[in-house]
Amino acid sequence: MSAVSNDHQTILSARYMAWYRFSRNPSAVIGGLMVLSVILVAVFAPLIAPYPEDVGATVDFRNRHMGPDAAHWMGTDKVGRDILTRVIFGFRISLLLVIGVLGVAVPVGTALGMLAGYFSGMTERIITGFTNVMLAIPPLVMALAIGNVLEPNLVNAMLAITLLWWTWHARLIYRVSKSIATEDFVEAARLAGASHWHVLTREILPNCVSVISVKTTLDAAFVILFGATLSFLGLGVKPPTPDLGSMVADGRQFLPEMWWEVLGPGFAIFYATLGFNLLGDGLRDMFDVEV
Amino acid sequence: MQTNPAQLMLKRLVGFAGVMFVLSAMIFILARIVPGDPARIALGPSATQQQVEEMRLEMGLDAPLWQQYADYVWRGVQGDFGKSLISGRQVSDEIAALLPATLELVIVTVLLIIAVSIPLGVMTARYRNSWIDNAGRFFSIVGVTMPSFLFAILLQLIAANFLSDWPVLGRVNYSLDLPDGPTGLLLVDSVVHGDWQVFRSALQHLIFPSMALAMAGIGQITRITRSAMIEHQRRDHVLTLKSFGVPDRVIVFRYLLKLSSIAPLTIMGLEFASLIGNAFVVELVFSWGGFASYGLESILQKDLNAVMAVVLVSGFFFVVANLVIDIVLMVIDPRLRFKEAN
Repeated sequence: MSAVSNDHQTILSARYMAWYRFSRNPSAVIGGLMVLSVILVAVFAPLIAPYPEDVGATVDFRNRHMGPDAAHWMGTDKVGRDILTRVIFGFRISLLLVIGVLGVAVPVGTALGMLAGYFSGMTERIITGFTNVMLAIPPLVMALAIGNVLEPNLVNAMLAITLLWWTWHARLIYRVSKSIATEDFVEAARLAGASHWHVLTREILPNCVSVISVKTTLDAAFVILFGATLSFLGLGVKPPTPDLGSMVADGRQFLPEMWWEVLGPGFAIFYATLGFNLLGDGLRDMFDVEV
Repeated sequence: MQTNPAQLMLKRLVGFAGVMFVLSAMIFILARIVPGDPARIALGPSATQQQVEEMRLEMGLDAPLWQQYADYVWRGVQGDFGKSLISGRQVSDEIAALLPATLELVIVTVLLIIAVSIPLGVMTARYRNSWIDNAGRFFSIVGVTMPSFLFAILLQLIAANFLSDWPVLGRVNYSLDLPDGPTGLLLVDSVVHGDWQVFRSALQHLIFPSMALAMAGIGQITRITRSAMIEHQRRDHVLTLKSFGVPDRVIVFRYLLKLSSIAPLTIMGLEFASLIGNAFVVELVFSWGGFASYGLESILQKDLNAVMAVVLVSGFFFVVANLVIDIVLMVIDPRLRFKEAN
């Protein structure tokens, strides 16, 4: 019989418990590793890519449309560039898009959502009203329209997506902060003379952090997906920049024979979105929040 | 104070009118800040300045902006979106001709989503943490995260390699004589005319595109149905039913399913927006030649009048879909019918 040992009792901190739940959740760990690999590949792209010169507008017509082999693991494209190299650099573009979009959409959405949730009355009505209208716009259609009015390129694609993306965060944070705003500790802080600013940044925001991080992780997947779809439709990044969505669109002309030109970049997108999604799901279980 | 359903509906309608108003204003402003003169786009680079001026006058581009907008809304309400800058035909006629193709695809897709995801959601919740649950959850995560163009292309590749005669492009075998009216939906029209060859061909053509389009929705709705079922299983009234010896089957289908369909239905309304977006992709891959293909083409060609109409019509369908879902929810959930006003 193993006796219950009282002398070595460890107090399990909340952080340890969170880590425990995370590491026992296989999909979270797999997702985390997938995301980590995407980030590492993107950061060290020039060191990893077998043919770094194929990122630009190089041509090698002797090797065009070559199937996957030992020299080109994912084959070559219509002008003979190594697809694996372009996929590796393509992750950079995808992650740049994620950082660009969420770097603006998350703070803006969080700020507006908190304001609407904390202050009732006019502020609440204006912000929620505007958010609801924005949510009623089919995002892809609008992004296509915006992307085309401006020149189609990476920055404008970011802009178009950001313009529509903050609303989802605003809606979520509104819901969360509205319920926090009625808690006793918020009232206590107000009674103790704390300013609105203090309450918003020190009382409400810290309680939104877990929700924000889960939502942001899940969103990274959808931003990658959305950006890939935009460029697949011809309104994303300009050639010769190696973008995963446009690589799929390029390769599509040579189906069904040159399947590798589509499946390589296509599954690369899927790998990244799946990774972020699994990780987000794992974080959701870990923080036990509803997103 | 309590409201009755009619009042609630009216409130919704006003809200949706507001949405359409803001959407039209946004797209109008967007279309007017475009670098490039619509009259110039319509006439092409070889037109003289004189011709462009005349065209501007004809298109009403010399009026003040607010008046142009009022004019646009007034005509838009009557279904007149002006002429296409590229083809010169009425945008509304062009859209009306292509809309049935997309509607047919979307309707079949929605039915497919419901037919697959509700049973799957129920099964995964019922056999929670079993292999069925794990497989179902994996399937729904793949559905949510796989780009619809990749899935569409995979289906085409499968057809090309293993199903040699299976059609992967277009709506129907074009050597067939298509039935004339009344709806433009091939499945309906062919039944009305008793033309089973067309029906069979149209159905064959529909299967892959609707699968590709349904994937994301199936993933999302399965997930929501599952978690709603699990949440409601723990409720006291369900435990009471169980302790009274009510069979599981009855509990699930008679009590739980109705209760648990509220969340997925609500999400379905929002999901409709991404469905419209993905239709652009799926129509492109399968050469569907519907409204979404038209939208993509007009966006790429900067056919502003058509782009504005496409955005508004998509927004309109989104709003209508949500209105329909609201009505369905009110039928299912009596609490909504007598929700407190404000």
